[in-house]
Parts: sequence; C-alpha cells; structure tokens
Amino acid sequence: MLSFLSPLFLAGAAAAAIPVILHLLKKEPEARVQFAAVKLLKKAPVEHTQRRRLRELILLALRVAALVLLALAFARPFFASGAASTSTGVTVVALDTSYSMSAPGRFERARQLAKDAIARAPANDLVAVVTFADDAQIAMKPGTDRVLAASAIDEAAAGFGATRYRAALSAAGQNLAGRRGTIVVVTDLQENGWDAGDRATVPEGTRIEVADVGAAPSNLAVTAVRPLADRIVASVHNGGDRPREARVHLAIDGRAAGDAVVPLGPNQSADATFAGAPRGAAAVVRVEDPGGIAADNVRYALIGGLTRPSVLVVTGSGDMTREAFYVQHALAAGTPGNAAFQVSGVSGAQLSSWTDDRVAPHAAVFVLSTRGLERRGRELLSTYARTGGGLLIAAGADVDGDIVADVLGTGSTLRIVTVENAKPAARALAPADVRHPIFQAFSGNATTLGLVRFDRASRIAGSGCQTLARFTTGDAAFLECPAGDGRALVLAADLDNKWSDFPLHATFVPFLHEIVGYLASARAHASDYVIADAPAGVKKEPGIATIAVATQGAATRQIAVNVDARESDPSRISIEEFKSAVTQMKEAAGAEARVEARQQEDRQHLWQYAVALMVMLLAAEGVLAARTA
Amino acid sequence: MSPWAAHDRPFLDPAVVARLGTLELKARTIVEGFLSGLHRSPFKGFSVEFAEYRQYIPGDDLSTIDWKVYARSDRYYIKKFEEETNLDCHLLLDVSGSMGYGGHHGMTKFEYGAVLAASLGYLMNRQRDAVGLTAFDENIVSMLPASARPGHLMALLVTLDRLRTGRMTNVSKPLHQLANTLTKRGIVVLISDLLDDPDEVIRGLKHFQFRGIDVIVFHILDHDEIEFPFERATRFQDLETDEEIMAVPGAVRAHYLHEIGALIERYRRELGAHGIDYQLLDTNRPLELALLSYLSTRSRAY
Repeated sequence: MLSFLSPLFLAGAAAAAIPVILHLLKKEPEARVQFAAVKLLKKAPVEHTQRRRLRELILLALRVAALVLLALAFARPFFASGAASTSTGVTVVALDTSYSMSAPGRFERARQLAKDAIARAPANDLVAVVTFADDAQIAMKPGTDRVLAASAIDEAAAGFGATRYRAALSAAGQNLAGRRGTIVVVTDLQENGWDAGDRATVPEGTRIEVADVGAAPSNLAVTAVRPLADRIVASVHNGGDRPREARVHLAIDGRAAGDAVVPLGPNQSADATFAGAPRGAAAVVRVEDPGGIAADNVRYALIGGLTRPSVLVVTGSGDMTREAFYVQHALAAGTPGNAAFQVSGVSGAQLSSWTDDRVAPHAAVFVLSTRGLERRGRELLSTYARTGGGLLIAAGADVDGDIVADVLGTGSTLRIVTVENAKPAARALAPADVRHPIFQAFSGNATTLGLVRFDRASRIAGSGCQTLARFTTGDAAFLECPAGDGRALVLAADLDNKWSDFPLHATFVPFLHEIVGYLASARAHASDYVIADAPAGVKKEPGIATIAVATQGAATRQIAVNVDARESDPSRISIEEFKSAVTQMKEAAGAEARVEARQQEDRQHLWQYAVALMVMLLAAEGVLAARTA
Repeated sequence: MSPWAAHDRPFLDPAVVARLGTLELKARTIVEGFLSGLHRSPFKGFSVEFAEYRQYIPGDDLSTIDWKVYARSDRYYIKKFEEETNLDCHLLLDVSGSMGYGGHHGMTKFEYGAVLAASLGYLMNRQRDAVGLTAFDENIVSMLPASARPGHLMALLVTLDRLRTGRMTNVSKPLHQLANTLTKRGIVVLISDLLDDPDEVIRGLKHFQFRGIDVIVFHILDHDEIEFPFERATRFQDLETDEEIMAVPGAVRAHYLHEIGALIERYRRELGAHGIDYQLLDTNRPLELALLSYLSTRSRAY
C-alpha cells in the first residue's frame, strides 16, 4: 500500500490544476470570434485542427502529470509493508507473568482471559501478545494469526518477577506503532505494580482495557531473612484476611537447621527466630503455603561475611570520644547488642602509615578533619574514592578546602571556603529533592530535617556537583560530587554540635545511616539482590548464585537472589485507578511508525523515480510543444 | 508609391473619421477635404446655367475668371454656374449581418459603407446629381428614391443614420428588384462585402448593365478578412448563421487567404470584363479613394 512520509506536500498537486484552469480560462473568452467569412473557412482542412487539439490535450496531460509527480516526489512516497499498514487496528494483550500469578489456578484463568481478549478483537485487527513482570517481552509481534497468538499465550508461564505496569504499557504501545489500537492488560491489579508517582504513556487514542484475574488467594510469604551473629531471623507475612499459623523451616547449606511456628493475624508480619550462631554459607528459609503463591515461600540469604559494615572516621587526633562523639554513637546505634555499623577512628597523621588494603574494606569514610592529613593519607583516601569508595566530608572548622580538593583529584571542581569568625546566623536545611535515596527515608516527614538549626556553615560549591540540600539562606548545604567510581558527599557544617544542633535531633542517626547506606551502595559488594536487580549473567530465579568479581581477576563471590517481597503484598487497585495512571501522549503516537516509515522510504527511494519520470515527461512536453508551436 | 503613403497622406484615416460626430459631418469633412485637396479639378463644365459671380480666391481655376469684369472693375471675379443634372445615382448599401464585422480598426464594414454612402451622397448632392439610397440584406430594407433637391441630402443622411445591420445576405435579389424599377440611365453604386454566391452577384450586376446603367462596385472588406491575422486557436462564429467552426489559424490561414484572394480576383476579373468598375476597399484605407473612383467613373460616362 502506497503511503507518504510528508503527505502535506500532496496539496501541491493542486498546482496541477493551474494548467487546466489556464487552459479553460484562455480557451473560452478569448477564442470565440464573430466572423463574416466563415463560409470560406469551412473548406479548410479540419483534420489538422483535431490533430492539433489532440496534441494540445496530450501537452496538457504531460504538464499536469509533471506537476503531480513533483508534488508526489516531495511527499516522499513509499510502499508500506503489508502488516505495517497504519489503517489496520492492533489489539495487544499484555499478560502479567509476575510471581503473584503463580498461585494455583490463577495463571490458567489469566490465559483464558487473554484468549478471550484475542477472540474479541475486531476481525480486521492485528493481534500481538506481550508478557510482563519486571520487564516486558514480546511473545508475538502484531500479526493476523490468532492461533499463533493463542499458542503464544499457552507458552507463557508465571515467573519470579514483580509486576511493573509501566514496562508492559510501554512495550504494548510500541507494538501499536502509530496505529489505532487497544491494549488489554490481563493482571491481578496489584497496587505495587505502579511505583510511587509512576505513570505510563501510551499513544493518543489507545484504548486501555483491564482483564482482572481477581484478588490473590490467602498467602504466606517469607519477606526477609537476616542472618545475625547469634541467630537467623526470618520475617513472615500473612497476606490473607484470616489468622494463620506459619510453619517456617530453616536449612543451612541444604541441611535442615530448624523449624518454627509463627502465629500470624490477617495482613500481619512476624519474625521467626532461629537461635544459635549460624555456621555455613547459605541459609534458606521456607514457609509452608500450599494454597498460596509458591515463589515467595522461600528466601535465601548468605551467612558468610556477616561482619557489620564498618565506617572509618578521620579526625584530627584520632580521639573519637572527643572529636566524633556524636558520629560514633549515631553510627553504632542499632538494636541492642547489634550495632548498625562498626566504627573505627583514625587521625590524619596515622592514616599516612595505612595501606590501601586497610582502608578498602570500609563501607564509608567520614572525614571530619583534615588536620595532619599528609600527602600519603590524601592519596589513600583518593584511591579509596576512585575505586568506588564513599566519602563524607563534614566541612567544619577543621576541614581545609584545598586538602579536600586534593583528595577528590584533579578533575574536582569542589571549593570549600570556611569563613573564620563569621557572625552566627540561624539557618535550616531544606532538601532539594526528597526523592534522593538519602532523603527518601524522610520523605514522609521531610520537615523534621528543617528543625535542625545551623548557626554557622562553610561555603561549598562545585560545578560538577549535585546540590542535594540547601540552607534556607539559599547557600548550598549538602553536595554530592563525583570522585572516580566512588562518591563524595560534602556537608557545609561539622557533625558535632559546635556549628549546629543537628546531633541533638532525632533525625541525626537515620541521616547518618542513610548516608552510609548510600555511600556503600556505590561499591559492588552487595550480596543480596532481588531478581530485577541481579547482576548480568545471573539466572532470573531465586537462589544462591556465584558471580565473578571484576576487580579481582578470577575470584568469585556468592550472592543471594530473591523475589521482590513487594510482589507478595496483596493490595489491589481498581481498574479506574489503573487507567488514571496512564497518560495518552500525542508525541508518543506514531513515533515508532514514523521511524519505520522513514526507514522504508529511505530504502525504496520512490521519490527519485518520480523525479526521473517528471524529467522525462517534461522532455517529451518540450519536444511536443515545439512541434505544436 | 501609393498616394496615401504615411509621410504625405492627403486623406483622412478612417479611424479619425469614425470619431467624428454625425454622419453629415463625416461626409462633409471627407468630401470638402477631398475636393479642396485637388489642385486642379478635372471635373469642370458640368453646368451651363449662370448662377453668380464670386470673388477670386487663390486656388480657383484661372479659366473661370471673367476678364471682362476684371477690365471694368480691376478685380478678379469668377463665374459660377448652376449645374443642370441629368444623372440619377443610386447607392446600394448592403446591411446584411456580415457587414457588422469590425476588427480592431475602429469601424465595422457597415459603418465604413454608411460613411462612404453619405460621402458619395454629399458629393453627388453638391454636384447637383440626383441621389437615391437602397439598403438591403436578403431583401430591400429601405429605399429612398433619387432626387437632387437641396433637402434630399438630409433625408438621405437620416435614412443612413437609422440603418442597422440585418441578418442574411442575398445580394442578387435586391439587385434584380432595383434593376427592374430603374427607368432612367444613371449610375448604381454597390457598397457590399459581396460574401455571397459570386455568380448570383455578377448576374445581378449585369442586369443593370443590360438596362444601360453604369455600375460601380465597392467591395468592402475588413483588414482581418484580407490578412487573417488571428494567432490562437479560435472558435469562429458566423455573423449571419451563428454557425461555429473551431480552427487553428496557423493551420487554416493559407487556405483562407487563397479562398478570399480567389474571390476578390474573380470579382475583379469578371466585373472588369463586363465593364463594371470594381474597387476593393479595406476598411483601414481612406474613403477618399472611393470618391476618386466614383468621380473617375462619372467623368468617363458623362
């Protein structure tokens, strides 16, 4: 079917009417002459007149055709490939294959709903099948074969992924390729399928239908396993609306290591504790739940490397109690007998005698003072940051901006200016983006950070740095600067209570914990992954996997891969709520089709033929016109 | 070189004549101009009866000076004579539809013919010849008997003024009708485009000859009809029959020019052979030529 890349140019074909109009205008009023000696003309050779008129008609046709061809060439014609005709509608069935669909009988129902949607699709419509969980796969491209579509649905199976509607709608929208269409989402309408503030866009005019599989059955799920020094704690959640008794079993390295029975109320979580210091490599916690979702009944955790993440604090003298009292206690805070972080202190001078290996294991390094930090020490910190380490620089009175710039490397644009003897002026902290991982924990009540009163602050700036928070005076308060593969966070105040009352606020502890968590996440040493985030090469199913450590040659390490616990949450949304999160974007409409059309047009080059034909017609017109004249 | 060449044209351009007011003014302008331009009139001695003396003015024929009066009064006087006419002149004006054609030169053939008839009438009246007018298309439309009375000229001009072009042409029929009514010898002046059957036209004219009447034929054709200057493909509509012919001038020009040339040549040849004066008049050319032709014929006959 002939299509056009720039159909507006076809309006130029109206110019073809110009010769016709001129011909008609010229012909009638001018050419009629009242004449006396007509009888003398009668005997003239009339055949010549007719022949001439025929030639004129041919000339007219040639001129009109040349103009039409010119307009045609500008409109960039191409033959659209059969199935890609934009006049045909498309029905895309998006089938939810997240693990919440794996409860007995649910996926069969989903398949049936999907087949019904295929059967209901208008007879002339193309059909396509998309399966989705964390991401979407095209099971069948738009086509006319409905048996193939049904077969693709039969082949689909519930996996271990979590529901992500955005991925599904995006893939389905791409399959529409600019055509009118309907997207039928076959799902159990889990609320967690939309991330907070998440929206999906589909081409304008697309109809969204939702085939609801129904609410999940009563389900038990192991949502977390925490191997601690002296015990293993497993969190179990009852997603049903009636109380249940969860029978939880622990296995370490394939051997049964304990059982527990946990009573659970409706929609309630509880911990099952398996006492005794775990010995072994991998723990597997399983809950008995024959009628619920199978995938979330098991959770894996690594026992090895259970040492707490350690944080190195660089102070002037190394005396933590005097110089980093609040930091030390805030980082060590945790459940009784189980401090969140292992904190060690070092003076700048002492650090010079350390080696890279001694600094590297720390999850984060807090620089509270640069006093005594010699060249060797700066290099150690610089190497630590470049190799993926995380630094927090509290730009208080003891921090020298030049030394910090030295630590962050030559590419750093960070400038720290400490104003000596500045007049104290009260100011508060205001996050620039509450969605930043550090401030997410405060997103529910971000104003609590605003209660912190800063009397003094350094001036910090850097063109390559991202401002995470500002003071109420407008000055930058908290920056994130790139430092090689690692990160450097710069706070424009100290972490003592000399310049601010921050340590005295409840937000101080979670703030430091979030900072350490964020800094540590830059280093690829996490051992617990959900399936969607599992490193490349790891099979997308729960279990203990072995991956190579890129920075350490042939060394390998083990990771635990688990299903996303959020998928076990049975909370549902209504169809209207689902649809309200979908935006119909005009720009999105047909973008894919336009690209495809442009590519087809590029391949075919029909406009060149049109121009060549036009040139030939004009040449013929020239010859004929010369003879007619 | 033709006597009306541009650099010394003595006669009035028909386009100028067309812009003159009344028919009388046109006729008088043409005739007076024509006569005053003749330095030496060859047409003297028409009359025999003395009318009056008039003081000599330069340009008058010296032979008309009365030397006896000069001897008595020492002044030049010329004798003027009252003409005694015995000549009837009949103007036949074709008013058929085809005479309505006019190209881009100001006058249609009919207007040109009417001015010509008026001029001739004026000239004849001035010379005391009796003049009559017959207008015709396929029939006689209007007829004014020949008369030399002083007021007759005005009647003739009014009649001419009222004439309008008619429909079909049939030259021979009115010619025969008129020939049958004329009893006195005289001159018949036919003013027509002669777009009729030449055989019939010539037969009609010969009828006059047979009755002993001299005939002058003024064949009036528009310049377009002689040159056929059309360029673009044209739908030619007959002025009389409304018949249409679509023709490309480039293709038919040669044929047409041959046809019209043959027609003219035939009239010239056959009428000449029968002693009929034939004058082809292009509506582009001065009317005085026609007057000259008339006077030439008159002087030859009388």
